[in-house]
Amino acid sequence: MTIFFRNLVQNNVKIILTRNSDSQLFTVSYRNLSILPSVYDGKEDPAPKFFSSNVQVLLRRLTRPDFAKVFRKRTNSGRDVLKTPSYKFLTDEELEAEIAKANKRADRLLQMPPIVKIHQPINEILSEDPALIGYDNVKYLFTDITFGVANAHRIIVERDPDGILRSSDHDIRKRLNQTYFPIKGRKLREPIMFTDKDRLNSLLESEKYEFVLDRACIQYEPDEPSYQKITSITYQHIDMNKNYDMLRSTRHFGPMAFYITWHQSIDNLMLELLQTSAVREAVLLTALRHEIHGDLANGEQVQALVHQILPTPIQLSKPDRLTEEDIELDNKCVECIEKYIVGNSAMKSQQELALQGFREYYQQMIELSRGLKKAHGNA
Amino acid sequence: MFSNLLSLRGVAAIVNIFSRQTKLQRNVPNLTNFSTTSVACVNFFNKLPAEKLWKSVTSVSNAGAKKGRGKGAGRIRIRDLNRGQVIGIGRINMLWPGLSAPVIRGRELLKQQRLPDDPERMEKLTKLRDSMTKFRRLRLSPIERGWSGTRMPGRSIGPPDPIGEDEFVGFDTKVLQLRSLLIMKGNLGRTRNYQAMVVTGNGQGLAGFGLGKGKEAVAALRKAKNKAGQKLMHFEIYNGHTVFHDFYTAFGKTKIFVQKKNEGYGLRCHRAIKEICQAIGIKDLRAKLEGSNNLQNIVKAFFIGLLQQRTHQQLAEEKKLHLVEYRAENEYFPTVVASPSKVRTKEEILKDETLDFIQYVMDDRVILRKKKFPRFYEKMPHYKIYLKKYEKYRNHEKIRLMLKTEYGEVKSFLNDRYPEEKVESEA
Repeated sequence: MTIFFRNLVQNNVKIILTRNSDSQLFTVSYRNLSILPSVYDGKEDPAPKFFSSNVQVLLRRLTRPDFAKVFRKRTNSGRDVLKTPSYKFLTDEELEAEIAKANKRADRLLQMPPIVKIHQPINEILSEDPALIGYDNVKYLFTDITFGVANAHRIIVERDPDGILRSSDHDIRKRLNQTYFPIKGRKLREPIMFTDKDRLNSLLESEKYEFVLDRACIQYEPDEPSYQKITSITYQHIDMNKNYDMLRSTRHFGPMAFYITWHQSIDNLMLELLQTSAVREAVLLTALRHEIHGDLANGEQVQALVHQILPTPIQLSKPDRLTEEDIELDNKCVECIEKYIVGNSAMKSQQELALQGFREYYQQMIELSRGLKKAHGNA
Repeated sequence: MFSNLLSLRGVAAIVNIFSRQTKLQRNVPNLTNFSTTSVACVNFFNKLPAEKLWKSVTSVSNAGAKKGRGKGAGRIRIRDLNRGQVIGIGRINMLWPGLSAPVIRGRELLKQQRLPDDPERMEKLTKLRDSMTKFRRLRLSPIERGWSGTRMPGRSIGPPDPIGEDEFVGFDTKVLQLRSLLIMKGNLGRTRNYQAMVVTGNGQGLAGFGLGKGKEAVAALRKAKNKAGQKLMHFEIYNGHTVFHDFYTAFGKTKIFVQKKNEGYGLRCHRAIKEICQAIGIKDLRAKLEGSNNLQNIVKAFFIGLLQQRTHQQLAEEKKLHLVEYRAENEYFPTVVASPSKVRTKEEILKDETLDFIQYVMDDRVILRKKKFPRFYEKMPHYKIYLKKYEKYRNHEKIRLMLKTEYGEVKSFLNDRYPEEKVESEA
């Protein structure tokens, strides 16, 4: 084990501390109302719920991954010029194998940033050595830079001028980890777009949500308060403006859906789903709510329905023809949603109106597809 | 007499003779130096008119002209010696009432009189004459310029002439070649002809080339342009910017290897191929020329190559396999660009069949890629010293940029140890 030491002038430490305390009062004013960030710092830990396979499946399905958007042209890969495309002749089997590989890559691209509880401050005194009191007037930091140790488990300790040897707190740990093992894209200082609320606000106003969330993922750890505040503000901004489509097919839709469900405010998303005739996803959203809070009267029924919905293909656009199975499933979904609106919704009238609109549209669709089927015959 | 004589002066040598002559004439009434020897007052210079004298110094014999003499540097050009001269004003600055001045000025009657000499008069005249000797190039705006100077190749000569009521809207013609040819004729002997090759196109897939001959360059160009307009071909462009696939094409001893390229690559090829691509509307492509660089063969080979391209659907049908595209910017997602009506299985593929796409479209031809040798200086000792010396500066540019974004200036805790000093100096 090699131990490197590093001493920081006390002033520097002080600057970090004061800056952190400033960011405690971080709000973003949105026109007249201001968004108050809410973080996962309550008694209950969201991690077990978030990582449970049922919730993961629901979140993944709610993301509605469209490969045209998942594999869209990205310009942030460090390439200054495009590359010449390559071509291959493939048989059916080879093509299937390639698509399966692409699916795996899509899974990687859509891997959701974890949702965990905010970390607790580290207050671990390792030893007190009164003999070292006044040995120096600066703090000594010791970092274990052995190769192959995870950043989270790296030993980083500090020796205070008063002779106390303690484990370093998260901000110092992050700083030293970044110094010795830099993560590409992460800055030692927080970027101004996160510290200056006006700049963050202007980014949100210009709907650069994915950029903000991607950068927050690189800059912060998921259990940091700053990360959770920034993501919380962004999610709320999206929720208020109903810009859900901007996050669909990205890795951030799942955490956003989880966030608004956790904080009991899925009504806007539910309304949007009903207005865009995505009743199956609306059922999935109620199922997500039941998984997290367990407060639905017809929870069993919803869960049974989810098992029917999941094997069906993802509907990226409105279907132009319906089969009898589709009609049956969609009717069950509508029933389910009706019960949810009566029992749990906070936007009853609007959602009922949207559902009524869907019913009328759906009736027309049914007639059209049955008429077509009749005209074409059973063959 | 004075001005007439002056107009005879052509070259520097003539000027000397001229001055001697005027001296002679003035000396005639002077009887103090009387001599009985005869003086030849009539000579080559005052016997012939200016026109003939100039011809004698500037012209080249017919035989010489055929050999190309009398062109380029050192060529004598005709100068108008009357320019800058006014009747009544000469070397001796005289005032001639009624000629160089009014007869009556105010209420005074002017008299013939000698005025003080103007010493700069001759200098001004010589300067003016010298300015006529210089050859002035035809100046072209940078937009109109072709490949080189004022030469025609590379220049635009507008759309082909309309045929009846059909106009060539959106077309532009570029000259690729304009050269003079010498041909032998029974009664005239060796005569000069011009030959022009042009390409015309609308930048949206329609293009054609034409060859024209004529007695004059302009006629040859016009004929070539109109012929090109008659021979238009349509080419499909992949995604509006490049060719469908790499290909090899040849005409005579000229061989061209063309490569499909990404968007933003540009046209990196022979200038004639570049003009053709611009006429067609191809924006990105690389072409390597091998063998002869005969321009007409290049043009023909490239057009043949473009015509022999196969679309992706054709390629898929030929191979009876899916054609799949991979792009780096799309995380190499397999996009099926063409599928045949019936796909072969793995068992149906022959053992030694070409499956590599590039190898297939190049007809199993392999481009010779020359090995890149290290630059000559890379083995020298000074280069190692240079590398060692500048190694520590390699990230400084990035750091400066970062500091500027953070503090607005280049500063760090290393050079900011005594900030109060700076405050004082600013105050």
